Amino acid sequence: MSKIRRVAVTSPQTRLAHARRRSRGRWRQPRLPAGDTQRATALYTAQRRRGIPALVLMFALLLGLPGVFALFPALDTVRLLGIPLSWLMLAVLPYPAMALLARWQLRRAEHLEDE
Amino acid sequence: MGVALAVAPVVLVTLLIGVRGVAAMRTTSDFLVASRRISPLVNSAAVSGEYLSAASFLGIAGLVVKDGIGALWYPVGFTAGYIAMLVLVAAPMRRSGALTVPDFAEARLNSPALRRLTAVVVLVIGTIYVVPQFRTAGLVLAAVGGTQYWVGVVLAGAAVSVTLALGGMRAATYVQAFQFVLKLLLFLIPAIWLVLQAGAVNRTDALNPVEFTHFARETPVRFEVDVTMEIREPTPVRRNGVVETLPPGEFTAHSQDEVVFGTGAAVPAVRGGAALGGADWRRPLLDLGDQGYPLLGTWAVLIATMLGTMGLPHVLMRFHTSPDGRAARRTAAITVALLGVFYLFPGVYGVLGRVLVPGLYLSGATDTVVVALPYQVDNGWAGGLFTALLTAGAFAAFLATSLGLLLVMSGALAHDLVPGGLRRLRIAVFGVAGVMVLLALRSAELDAGVLVTWGFTVAASTFCPLLVLGIWWPRLTATGGIAGVLTGLVASSGSILFALAGPPLRGWVAILVQQPAPWSVPLAFGVMALVSLRGRPPAWSTSAMLRLHLDEPRSTGPRDRSSTVRRLARLLNR
Repeated sequence: MSKIRRVAVTSPQTRLAHARRRSRGRWRQPRLPAGDTQRATALYTAQRRRGIPALVLMFALLLGLPGVFALFPALDTVRLLGIPLSWLMLAVLPYPAMALLARWQLRRAEHLEDE
Repeated sequence: MGVALAVAPVVLVTLLIGVRGVAAMRTTSDFLVASRRISPLVNSAAVSGEYLSAASFLGIAGLVVKDGIGALWYPVGFTAGYIAMLVLVAAPMRRSGALTVPDFAEARLNSPALRRLTAVVVLVIGTIYVVPQFRTAGLVLAAVGGTQYWVGVVLAGAAVSVTLALGGMRAATYVQAFQFVLKLLLFLIPAIWLVLQAGAVNRTDALNPVEFTHFARETPVRFEVDVTMEIREPTPVRRNGVVETLPPGEFTAHSQDEVVFGTGAAVPAVRGGAALGGADWRRPLLDLGDQGYPLLGTWAVLIATMLGTMGLPHVLMRFHTSPDGRAARRTAAITVALLGVFYLFPGVYGVLGRVLVPGLYLSGATDTVVVALPYQVDNGWAGGLFTALLTAGAFAAFLATSLGLLLVMSGALAHDLVPGGLRRLRIAVFGVAGVMVLLALRSAELDAGVLVTWGFTVAASTFCPLLVLGIWWPRLTATGGIAGVLTGLVASSGSILFALAGPPLRGWVAILVQQPAPWSVPLAFGVMALVSLRGRPPAWSTSAMLRLHLDEPRSTGPRDRSSTVRRLARLLNR
């Protein structure tokens, strides 16, 4: 770590201006150049198409697991390393599954923007 | 004494890092979003650090003792929220260029009314969320250090507001990133130590729960709040040193009472919770309030926590500190992994707590199970050391979460409701902190389980529909947004207030009133969509939405030269 002290180099007037109450300025209509509109539309539809399966998968996984527990109470009596299997499926299993799902979706979403 | 040693370093380091942040603080943007220069890894550590609140550090383990294994669904929902965030919100929200949620509402829909309404919602969610933090700070210091309840509350409030007023978001980012690492270590190492030290018998007992009907050994229970229990058979006890026999029927223990149950005494029943270690307790489903609908209860909590995360204003604001949309999206993805590591451990504290400190189940102070455990395993120096470490971690949890919440609340006040400069923002911090401390002083008796999900439910019923429809549906109108947010706010808060104050209900109705997310979220979405469809969106609506999906030109220079910062600089200097 260097010992150089950081100092503000703004003009005193700027600092005064920052301290004063400032109106946010008039709202402006968002404008997109034609080329940008085309790209944005393509990205919007592509991201929507790729986002929906990820969401459906997440909801199916998380809302489905309680259903599995309700339908198969026998999971409470099966034991793995002395721990009830249903406890492990709740306390451990979802986290790596969700991390993988997040990674998968991140890759897909970034890939669209790389093209 | 040990408590002071544990809490003092956390508070000191928080203050020090806060002071370091002051050097670079000049504008509102510095204060609110750290000038948008935080890298995804640091930012996701900060998001996790901010997100792992008292509820995560202490609350989940406490709920496991109180409600059973099913309470582990809470952290699953907390983590899943970031996947929804990654898919739906992170990048477009960042690309909107708005500083806060109300800013976003105005940028997308150009409605000052909606801006003010969302600022009010920020204040509501913030209050519901920050009061339990201060409350738990007070309870934990009382349980560990024997101080009065108000000492912890005031200490937490003072530390947070001083850090924030000095350093703003830049300070908060580094404080929170540091605290994530701190909290992870302070949670993980004691958990491993506890499992190793607890001994084979306790470990087997923890994994083979039997219903807790008779005290296996002499158990003192200290009550911090009034608790009414159901005595099942004449029970000999020592109350405040006096030997007496409690007759069957209702028995109310008063605050500050100490009741010692002898070996073999029958365990009184507590209303509203699953019988400790009973058949319901062992099931991995959340039977809220013992109403007999475990699947519905589990789904209700999952929906509230998953969708609520997406609408928490202090988490959303964290994404604005990323340099661009891509970095914001990465932040969300890394956060899922970081939280996943932390949330592997609350269950360990929960199942051990059931075996080792069953008395907490009676006193209702299950929130303190994590810090109460080390002394049960070892009452020498090691137990003291680990109690101190866990207390420090818990305090870090209150501080980090309250920092983010106070920041968005003072932002909503001084940036959206009454716009002003940096000085007013700093004054607002102290004002908000003061009010929160006063509210927390009066809420020692509220139920932790309700407090944990209340903020999430309100966020899920207001900001979640506004953001999702605002980002993905060009036809959303300002009127529709206002109608939907108002409906969601009234429906969710009204329902929970009714559950707290109204007559007791039975069956599935009780669950849907206590956890209204399964109907209040679709209701808010529906109202927002229907009202929007009846109106006409302005001509610029589609480009306002498409703008959010346009990726930034990839900058080749240093991070802070990104187009967004330049665009923002132009915006601020206009």
